[in-house]
Amino acid sequence: MFGTFHALQKHVRNCVLPVIALVVALAIASPALGATAPATAQDAGSKDAAAKTAPAATDAASTAKTPEKAKEVVNDPTGPAKIVDMTGREISLDAPATNIVALSAADCEILFAVGAGETLVGRGEYCDYPAEVLKVPSVQSGYETNIEQIIALEPQVLLMSTMAQTKEQVEELEAAGITVVVSDAQDIEGVYESVRMIGALTGHAGDAEKVVKDMQKDLEELAKLAKDNKGKTIYFEVSPLQYGLWAAGKGSFMNEVSELLGLENIFADMPAWAEVSEEQVIDRNPDYIVTISMYYGEGPTPIEEIMARPGWDVISAVEDGNIINLPNNELSRPTPRIAEGARMLADFIAAEDSAPVAKAA
Amino acid sequence: MASKGHIQDGHFGLRVYIVFGLVTLLTFILCVSVGSVAVPPDETVSLIFKAITGAELPRSSAASIIISSRVPRVLCVALTGAALSLSGAAMQGLLKNPLADGSTLGVSSGASLGAVLAIALGLEFAALPFAGTMVTAVVFAFVSLLAILSLAWRMDRSLSTNTIILIGVIYSMFVSSLLALIVTFASDKVKTITFWTMGSLAGSSYANALVLLGALLVGGSIILSKARELNAFAVGEENAVHIGVNVRRVRLTVLAAVALLTGVCVSIGGCIAFVGLVAPHMVRMITGPNHARLLPASAFGGATFLMLCDLVARIILNPLQLPIGVVTSLIGATLFVVILYRGRKKAL
Repeated sequence: MFGTFHALQKHVRNCVLPVIALVVALAIASPALGATAPATAQDAGSKDAAAKTAPAATDAASTAKTPEKAKEVVNDPTGPAKIVDMTGREISLDAPATNIVALSAADCEILFAVGAGETLVGRGEYCDYPAEVLKVPSVQSGYETNIEQIIALEPQVLLMSTMAQTKEQVEELEAAGITVVVSDAQDIEGVYESVRMIGALTGHAGDAEKVVKDMQKDLEELAKLAKDNKGKTIYFEVSPLQYGLWAAGKGSFMNEVSELLGLENIFADMPAWAEVSEEQVIDRNPDYIVTISMYYGEGPTPIEEIMARPGWDVISAVEDGNIINLPNNELSRPTPRIAEGARMLADFIAAEDSAPVAKAA
Repeated sequence: MASKGHIQDGHFGLRVYIVFGLVTLLTFILCVSVGSVAVPPDETVSLIFKAITGAELPRSSAASIIISSRVPRVLCVALTGAALSLSGAAMQGLLKNPLADGSTLGVSSGASLGAVLAIALGLEFAALPFAGTMVTAVVFAFVSLLAILSLAWRMDRSLSTNTIILIGVIYSMFVSSLLALIVTFASDKVKTITFWTMGSLAGSSYANALVLLGALLVGGSIILSKARELNAFAVGEENAVHIGVNVRRVRLTVLAAVALLTGVCVSIGGCIAFVGLVAPHMVRMITGPNHARLLPASAFGGATFLMLCDLVARIILNPLQLPIGVVTSLIGATLFVVILYRGRKKAL
């Protein structure tokens, strides 16, 4: 949930502020026509730059993967550990890392998933899975990342996502002798990559490969269900009505999972996190609704709350009670549990379909 | 929207009421007919007509969209706009300060602090679900107003524009750091508090609209009944004393009404900035400074202004939705600078 909320906040910052900036810039620029031209040129320039860096990063990523595919991947507890992180930086350690601070919840999960949980000496405050991770000292992460706290834990390696840290912060950490490794999974393929990278970093490459294989197997199996789900539509609610509706759109893990399962995300035309209106949901009339709201044990549950919304009774999903609550980041966090979340969703849809009697009631 | 017929100073006649009411009504119809999902206007009108006459509504997505989602939202937007604008106009008159508004004085921030505290402490009245946040929001709005104004008065007896605004800004910053502090300490649940600082009327219900209407009727009629006194204040406090105005009591009454309106608006829609600044200034150009005309016109003007802002927020980036506060702040902040600039030029 909090990962999500942070992502929302980030989205607001990333998305709304530029809009404001753009409007203001236009307002300022429009009286002086001359001023508009350089602004546009600059814009184009930065797009160029972005286009140039993108393929470079992909190249680096693919070269990192090829040697692993060539031969059987096994655990290598002695090292050296050579990896290319997900921003394309080459990192080499004499031996696998044994002291790691991981800031993102996803990286913490992956460390445990590849069997390297014991290397964790510090975690970001939102890391909450598996339960053992809570015993590890927590450091402030996100926009208020506490660099001193991290340095005080004396890790060899800091694992973090590209989300919140500035270049200056990274430099400060490297100056303190900490190797910064960036994991930045944007899609399921990216999850495989970060699992492999973290495996190689900790000498658990073999375990990591197994995690990836298991995920791939699960997802391939689920993909076979796609033909049964043809034409079914789904709506992913990431923020409830009370705080303004937000939906998962194109580029989100939920969208990718729905594509995999053959479902059609009703907000696939929107950015990964988008504020939507009630009327759009009613109009697009989803067959299924996934809410990731947490239930705090008081008042209506997230599912009951959606069922009770005025005017929502005409939505197919509400009419048939086809609403599922996945509050534990199964579908929003780039970890091996994505496969688990996809399975839960697929099972739910299959169960709803085979129980038409329940629907009538 | 305003409590009609309460003030009859002879200045705001029936004819003007009809004109302002008609403009507001037309805006309302426009805003209900246009949205991210297109519903034909004739269907919209027939649906609303059916809903009003109590005829059975068809089970269609159009009926749900119009009756359950769009109408209550636009109603809440209109009532919020009227309430915020009316309180803005009242404060501008009372303080003889053209830049006074819930957001510039820090009253809205104070109200949101109250709402957030109510959530953090789990303050709730079982019978009325929203009442906990609402009561604390109103109380905090009032206490904030008193605190800001008495501090300003201590520093500068003339209550000059700059002093009040400066203290209001400082107070807002203080409150936002308190909010950040609460968010840091509070449980996970409270992290959703950001809602109150962003402002949103998405998901408004008819119940919200009723509460807003109630607050507007009470707070609005109090403010409107003090139109004569506000006129006296505009000439000068001394003048007000001379013509027999109980300055202290009037000031407290108006401030309490403003706190009620602001607190209720904030507890329902969060902080929506600058409405109370923009709308009364636009209206003043039409009605002139007489509060007997300005106040009711501000209520209509505020409703119209906020409905249009909401419309822009809903459709400009369709299918994406913008927070309404972005639109009001863009317009409001610009106007703020214009007013400040003009005022300075005049003073020089």
